[in-house]
Amino acid sequence: MSRRFWVFIEQEEGKIHPVAGELLGVARRLAGEIADELKQKNETAVVEGILVGHEVDDLAQEAIRLGAERVYQVDAPEFKYYLNRPYTEALKTLVKKYKPEVFLIGATTMGRDLAGAVATSLKTGLTADCTQLEMGEARGTNKKLLLATRPAFGGNVIATIVCKDHLPQMATVRPRVFDASPVNKKARGEVIKEKIKVTPDMLNAQVVEFITNQASAIKLEYADVIVSGGRGLGSPKGFELIKALADELGGVVGSSRACVDAGWISYDHQVGQTGKTVRPKLYIAAGISGAIQHKVGMQDSDFILAINRDPSAPIFSVATVGLVGDLYEIIPALIKKIHASKNKGGQA
Amino acid sequence: MLHALVGIKQVPDTTNIRIDPETGSLIRQGVPTIINPYDAHAVAAAVEWKRKLGGKITVITMGPPAAVSALQECIEMGADKGILVSDRKFSGADTLATSYVLAEAIKKIHEEDPIDLIFFGKQAIDGDTAQVGPGVAVRLGYPLITYAVNIREVNLEEGYALIERKTELRNEIIKTTLPAAMTCEKEIAEIPYAALPDLIASLRYKPQVWTADEPVAYDIAQIGLKGSPTMVFKTGTPVQHEPGELIKAAGTSLDKAVDLVLNKIMEHASGAPLIGGKK
Amino acid sequence: MSSKKIQFDVIVVGAGLAGSTAAAVAARNGLNTAVIERGQQPGGKNFFGGAVYTHALQEIYPDLWDRNPPLERPVTETGFWFMSKDGMVKATVQGGKLNNDPIDAYVALRARFDSWWADQAKSEGAFIIPKTLVEEFIYQDGKVVGVKTDRPQGDVYAPVVIICEGVNNLLTQKLGLIDHDIRPAATALGVKQLISLPAETINARLGLPSNEHGLAISVMGDVSMGMAGLGFLYTAEKAISLGVGVTLEALRKSGVKPYELLQRYLNHPAVAPLIEGGQLMEYGAHLIPEGGWKEMPRLYTDGVMVAGDAATMVNALHWEGTNMAIIAGQQAGLTAVEAHRQGDFSSKTLSAYQAGLKERFVMKDLYQYRNLSRFLDSHPEFMDIYPTFLNDALGMFFSGFGKPKKRLYKDILRTLTSRRPLLKVVGDLVSFGRTIIGI
Ligand SMILES: Cc1cc2nc3c(=O)[nH]c(=O)nc-3n(C[C@H](O)[C@H](O)[C@H](O)COP(=O)(O)OP(=O)(O)OC[C@H]3O[C@@H](n4cnc5c(N)ncnc54)[C@H](O)[C@@H]3O)c2cc1C
Ligand SMILES: Cc1cc2nc3c(=O)[nH]c(=O)nc-3n(C[C@H](O)[C@H](O)[C@H](O)COP(=O)(O)OP(=O)(O)OC[C@H]3O[C@@H](n4cnc5c(N)ncnc54)[C@H](O)[C@@H]3O)c2cc1C
Ligand SMILES: Nc1ncnc2c1ncn2[C@@H]1O[C@H](COP(=O)(O)O)[C@@H](O)[C@H]1O
Repeated sequence: MSRRFWVFIEQEEGKIHPVAGELLGVARRLAGEIADELKQKNETAVVEGILVGHEVDDLAQEAIRLGAERVYQVDAPEFKYYLNRPYTEALKTLVKKYKPEVFLIGATTMGRDLAGAVATSLKTGLTADCTQLEMGEARGTNKKLLLATRPAFGGNVIATIVCKDHLPQMATVRPRVFDASPVNKKARGEVIKEKIKVTPDMLNAQVVEFITNQASAIKLEYADVIVSGGRGLGSPKGFELIKALADELGGVVGSSRACVDAGWISYDHQVGQTGKTVRPKLYIAAGISGAIQHKVGMQDSDFILAINRDPSAPIFSVATVGLVGDLYEIIPALIKKIHASKNKGGQA
Repeated sequence: MLHALVGIKQVPDTTNIRIDPETGSLIRQGVPTIINPYDAHAVAAAVEWKRKLGGKITVITMGPPAAVSALQECIEMGADKGILVSDRKFSGADTLATSYVLAEAIKKIHEEDPIDLIFFGKQAIDGDTAQVGPGVAVRLGYPLITYAVNIREVNLEEGYALIERKTELRNEIIKTTLPAAMTCEKEIAEIPYAALPDLIASLRYKPQVWTADEPVAYDIAQIGLKGSPTMVFKTGTPVQHEPGELIKAAGTSLDKAVDLVLNKIMEHASGAPLIGGKK
Repeated sequence: MSSKKIQFDVIVVGAGLAGSTAAAVAARNGLNTAVIERGQQPGGKNFFGGAVYTHALQEIYPDLWDRNPPLERPVTETGFWFMSKDGMVKATVQGGKLNNDPIDAYVALRARFDSWWADQAKSEGAFIIPKTLVEEFIYQDGKVVGVKTDRPQGDVYAPVVIICEGVNNLLTQKLGLIDHDIRPAATALGVKQLISLPAETINARLGLPSNEHGLAISVMGDVSMGMAGLGFLYTAEKAISLGVGVTLEALRKSGVKPYELLQRYLNHPAVAPLIEGGQLMEYGAHLIPEGGWKEMPRLYTDGVMVAGDAATMVNALHWEGTNMAIIAGQQAGLTAVEAHRQGDFSSKTLSAYQAGLKERFVMKDLYQYRNLSRFLDSHPEFMDIYPTFLNDALGMFFSGFGKPKKRLYKDILRTLTSRRPLLKVVGDLVSFGRTIIGI
């Protein structure tokens, strides 16, 4: 018998969301963590992808290259666009049929909409927005369970949650907290097509119009360089300076929540607990105090430069380097120097 | 006439949270509790539509007796009736058990006074799970619209609503039959500043209290700890990072400091030059 | 909504310690009492060192201990620390006269304490209206008959209003009870951090035998960087509160940023190890009205009384503000009751408020210390030279081994006289004494 580790392969408009690759990587690691235990019982663990959409054959192959050993594909016109009830029905039906052990879903807008509904209709437990996952023994069980760890109370506490007596053990997982495993171009795997019956009442809510907004186009989570501004900018105009530095570095603009709340910049730029988790190569925080809710969203960046005039600002506790001073003096100087060094670099 | 129902939760104000350094657990005492901010916006949206269409708003919360003050705040904003579902037997509930308790209570309310639209907050800021709203919708079999940012239209005669929601790539307008359930972002409505007489009336308001037995007789196996498949295995405080180097960058030291930092960045990012690279 | 007039017997502005006390006393004596508080809830934003004093709490609630007050630790050791740049002389007292039952002072955290204190007022029947700012008064025939709040239909009426708005006394100014805004030389800015640590760590580091022991310390010397001011340290159960207060004037003149001042204190070699590894729980700043007697507004007029910080009722040297606020609140509450009994709310009846306070430590102490604020301002040597001298002198005394002791004493004396002539020193001490005794 094999224990199934499932990953929802989120896709939209013919593209797989990067979080799916991250989750396939995690699922493989988790499967590895119980391999020994299973061997004794003559069992194996298998990582499988669940793909729902319309005309998504290519994506099934891509999911295999991203790490799925097998893909269950639900492919029909009703699934072209994401809708909660048909998708819920699809996942519920598949779970009932194949009884996976663990089911991971990205903690994206779509994933969180879906996971809550699926878990409730299966009457199983769901841990939201996880940042760490491992298989381990919990008190009173002699079986390895999914230990799902997540921040709570605004990031002040981290809690590890288990789901002991119900299957599957479900979790939504924050994009960008795990690394995707490298794409294996040669990977081969089975694709199993599944049929799901969609009844008219499941289509009681329908998308009637799309509104594409510019802001959503920035992909903060996956940027290499992010320059973020906080309330220390003093006014929305300060973001012009942030943007100038970001442009100079080929990066994108981020923000603390204080500025989003103040209406200085749109929510899509927010980094942190209730915004995006980011892990760029370079993160610059200017005029951000470093509340725990902000730090949890950026503290795993490779290099963090904090600029703040208060030497006791908590942001410095996560900074690789901290500059104590006025951002309105420091950033223009940075821009000038970078600009100059680039010109020099170009000539050499 | 609209009958809107709003599910709200009282939460500790997580901006003011305190952690016991010994046990790593939350010190609840002295931490102010507030109505979950998203829920307050949801109530505000419901009030806006009540003003447009006429009707009434029922607010429900499952929580401890102290949650009365959160319901009072909803009355202050313009809700008409508050129900507190409160019983020791409910304690330890996770989102699955919570959605059961709320769904059953809502069915009861619906029997007496049919509901058109259910509002939830996007998520509660204590747990940030965003699961209760979808859970209740599934249990009631209602269409679910999450991350709602704008209600364009509510047409009670023809039984539909147009709701704008936010997704990762875009916003979309959903046309849904009624009754439906939605979870709300803050943009859904501004929180009104109540007139003083309304505030005073709300401070005197006493909500109805429902227990695990009355008027809904709950299935013991589905509530509280017993009805919760997930359990907290352990808690801790987030890891503290090693602070890096602090450099003063003001006045005469500014130039040097900036140079130093740029060098460090270059060194660090050696594999992938970020600066002076392609442009 | 009905447009009925909102009418109470008495309105209290501000649910701080003064306000909730005034309301409790008024309500207990049968008045229909409203407390209007701008904060989300009472105490939410209130802020102090600090300690509260048992005598005042018990005077309002004789059954205090049955009410489970949220107090942190009793103050069982108290006194002064004299700080030099890198040293500290500690002069504290424990046991002896401090061994009263109950202990005279307790450390408290205001967010918890104030909301509990307000709950007690509620239990006496006071009605607390939060999230509402009082902006103006309503006059009739030149007399105050109510207040205007920032809410729609926000007028509230009562024949008598007790203003307990705290140090930022805009309403008191609006009434013309005082003719000027906060004076920078007579107002201190207190900045503090509350740092949480396990109780055992606090006990071990500060030499406290158990959680039933606590410290209340005033710190003098380098802590204020030569400016007129004091530092403090209080132990809560699982946290240490540390802060510095210096006058706004001195801050402005020196250009020192408040958080730099505090940071310097926290980094002091004798302080840093006390809080090492602790977690910052609260960081904030609040004004302290130190002008005392000389800056006091008129305390009453027709239909109005002013109590607590709003009336500069603080004894800066002893960090006593809460007890003055409470006793003044009580007196104002009682006066409102008496005014209702007589049906007369004119300043003639309300003058009983001030007369009552004159009989109590409140006015007596404030009068006695009336010159303190000016004295400290004009004697900066108390903030640097003397504490530093104390440190040097004791340091030399206890490290002068192998030196002829006579030379040692001379050296010690020279560390003082090189900074301030001996005659001046004597003069300083005498005038300090006079200031404190109040002659
Ligand atoms: C449930 C919950 C979720 C939250 N989620 C998030 C989240 O996802 N993301 C998030 O960011 N926050 C979040 N917050 C809010 C968070 O607690 C803080 O309030 C917020 O991060 C503060 O933003 P800030 O640092 O920009 O502002 P402030 O805290 O006001 O800090 C401004 C800083 O700028 C400095 N400064 C001022 N002027 C200058 C200058 N000229 N030069 C240099 N420095 C200067 C100041 O010293 C100060 O440190 C959340 C809060 C809660 C309760
Ligand atoms: C750093 C520091 C340390 C201190 N340490 C000590 C100590 O150890 N011991 C001690 O006894 N004292 C101490 N004090 C002094 C003490 O805190 C005050 O004297 C005391 O709090 C005064 O109480 P109050 O009720 O007059 O004012 P507050 O406690 O300031 O209350 C005023 C209330 O009125 C409300 N308010 C104001 N204006 C309006 C309005 N227009 N409408 C509605 N509401 C309004 C405010 O929100 C507030 O709740 C300290 C003070 C500071 C700053
Ligand atoms: N105990 C509760 N009572 C009523 N509504 C709740 C409760 N818990 C959560 N909700 C609603 O569900 C939303 C999401 O909560 P959560 O799933 O806990 O993040 C909240 O914004 C509320 O609208």
